[in-house]
Amino acid sequence: MFKGFADWVKSLKNEGVEHIASEERRAFLKLGLVITGVYAGGKLLSVVSRVREVYADIPEYVDKYPYKPHYSMVLRTDRCIDCQLCMEACRKTNHVPPYGWRTRILEQHLPSGEGQWTRRFMPILCNHCNEPPCVRACPTRATYKDPETGIVKVNVKKCIGCKTCMAACPYDMRYFNEEKRAIDKCDFCWESRLSKGKFPTACAKACPAGVRIFGDLADPNSRVYQLVHDPYRAIWVLRPSMGARPNVFYTIN
Amino acid sequence: MVATQGAVKNSKIVGLFVVSLILLVIGLGAGIRSFVVGHMEAYGVTREIPWGVLISTYVFWVVTSTGLCLTSSIGHVFGYKPMEPVASRSIFLAICTILAGFFAIGMELENPWRLPIWNSLSPNLRSNIWWMGTLYGAYLFFMLIEFGLIRLHRHKQAALAGLLGVIAGVAAHSNLGAVFGLLHAHEFWYGPYMPIYFIASAMMSGAAAIIFFTWFAYRFSGREMDESTVKALQVTGKVYALLTAVVIFFTVWKIIASLAGKPHGKWETIMAFLKGPFAFNFWVFEVFLGLVLPFLVVVGVRARDINAMALVSGLALLAIFVMRYDLVIGGQIVPHYAGMHIYGLPEYYHYTPSLSEWLVVLGSLGLFGALFLWGEMAFDGHKPIH
Amino acid sequence: MKRNILLLLVIFVGIGFLLHAWPSFSQEGEEEAGYPTYPIIFTKPLKAVLFDHKVHVEKAGLSCEDCHEDIFKMEAGSTQQNEDFNMDSLYKGKYCGVCHNGEMAFASNTRCASCHIGVMGYERLLKKQHSSESSSEH
Repeated sequence: MFKGFADWVKSLKNEGVEHIASEERRAFLKLGLVITGVYAGGKLLSVVSRVREVYADIPEYVDKYPYKPHYSMVLRTDRCIDCQLCMEACRKTNHVPPYGWRTRILEQHLPSGEGQWTRRFMPILCNHCNEPPCVRACPTRATYKDPETGIVKVNVKKCIGCKTCMAACPYDMRYFNEEKRAIDKCDFCWESRLSKGKFPTACAKACPAGVRIFGDLADPNSRVYQLVHDPYRAIWVLRPSMGARPNVFYTIN
Repeated sequence: MVATQGAVKNSKIVGLFVVSLILLVIGLGAGIRSFVVGHMEAYGVTREIPWGVLISTYVFWVVTSTGLCLTSSIGHVFGYKPMEPVASRSIFLAICTILAGFFAIGMELENPWRLPIWNSLSPNLRSNIWWMGTLYGAYLFFMLIEFGLIRLHRHKQAALAGLLGVIAGVAAHSNLGAVFGLLHAHEFWYGPYMPIYFIASAMMSGAAAIIFFTWFAYRFSGREMDESTVKALQVTGKVYALLTAVVIFFTVWKIIASLAGKPHGKWETIMAFLKGPFAFNFWVFEVFLGLVLPFLVVVGVRARDINAMALVSGLALLAIFVMRYDLVIGGQIVPHYAGMHIYGLPEYYHYTPSLSEWLVVLGSLGLFGALFLWGEMAFDGHKPIH
Repeated sequence: MKRNILLLLVIFVGIGFLLHAWPSFSQEGEEEAGYPTYPIIFTKPLKAVLFDHKVHVEKAGLSCEDCHEDIFKMEAGSTQQNEDFNMDSLYKGKYCGVCHNGEMAFASNTRCASCHIGVMGYERLLKKQHSSESSSEH
């Protein structure tokens, strides 16, 4: 009997997939499956898995955007070639002194088996966290999260220089600026560019490899939104165990 | 031999007082110079290790201050008579140590003049360092009132001020623990352990300070201790032994908790303590001089031999200074991006205190010494008040 | 009592010194893979790209004529003087893109950091060269 069934199945002709409703296709896509054939008058489907890479482990706080615009950056880290044009642009645009930095590149040597490694450059900058440890730690509210944009800023005149925010930052993103007599850090170029209507940040503009994608995470038309909300894309943040809920995301290609 | 009026003032004390003042001036000079040339230039702290020996010195002084307040409160606040004779000096020492602490942190802050303004105009109630600063301000206020009332023989009111001081001190000091303990970024510190541990270790430091400085005051002025003071120190010795045991207990569990399951950040730090760059500090100072030796000696002499206890207490105070250093620096040594296959990242961040930092540390010691010795002379050796 | 304490002191100082000198835990040395003796470094239009002859000759089995002088001039690094020595040209099948097209070798728009060593890598190489030069002088 089963043999008969198998023969019957084999005898069926592929009737083509073009008549399947797009809703139905999408329903399968969500399961990670692609319809490749239809048999027996649309009663039987042949499907293959379409999941290419790891299923995105999207941080749990994504999809809740308290800020408008909710500034964010996605770093396509494997495209970075450490040309450091972003660092130079940042230094020039924001008058960063030689002893400090607001953004920099780290070099990863990712193990690829048997004593081998693969190079990958990893740009880092302030993550403009949703729960910034630095903001909680500051005694005088000199560093604060902008209620409109979510950018973590510093009010220079209130800074007492206790350096608690430096100790609190899990990402090493703060330094003391002797000229300002205050802590200095990345403000997504708010002061130098965004507040003057210039877009995007100096580093994103300077990047020749399209590593740094800057935009409004709350806007479905922005590239950052589309990258972060692609369920088939691996998206991660740095040191998620810190609970700071960064707004700078990492992905590859 | 009963101390007579003016017996405390002798050439030895005056000499040491002058030495203290010189240290204070040197430290003050080094600190002011550092403001002018910039802390980045003068101090050894870095972007990665922003808190150095001045913060650990601050912690040391305020730990001792809180401990002096708490341990001596057994007598004059909670009415345990045998400990009353050391109350006046203990309260005064608590004031001296907190001021020495404020001196150290005042030289460490980049803009200390902005502190009083913005601490009140723009408070962040979620910030532990705000609470710590504010509560220590209140604490100092209550301690000054209490000391004044003790000198005026108004013991009832003094006890009330003392109680308020104890409350403010515990709140302030546990907040200091939380300044470290609530920073997720440094796993070695993170958790409720720090606020609790700070209180326990404060009482231990306070007991050691009472024993050592009371003994020192009598020894240096060439007076003999009266019976009631000896008794008070013997009781303090028992408290000291108990609290040393408590801190040993805390330390053992800190080590076990940092080893079990290799928790990220904690494990790397504890390994630096057990057999790495902090091992000498840890085994010789923290464990041996700070905990094992005082416990063995105080228990060994059954808390009776004041000289022996004073000796180990003095050494323990030095050890506690190192303990605070290790706690503050050690908590920051694990690189932020450790474990992410970053090429060229050191195993541990490195920090060495600069000469300016050491001079400011000596300056804070000078301030403490000058205040303490001035107190001995001005208040006639804190003569037991009956 | 005093003797025991002295003994304890010696023990703890001993432990302290001994363990102080020990590395706290071993970290696997992240040594660099052996580069060829004469690395070809391109610094234009960006710092920096490393070309390794050894890999291309020994592993890929290329001969000199495969690249020289049709694709690249013999003179080391001279190609970077060309205006069009950039990624776009590679994607159009010029220079490295002759082979690195996804069929003969990995495509030019993938595995960026295989060839791009960055400013950090460039500076490391310069330092290495410098130190080997100065050591050979002695």
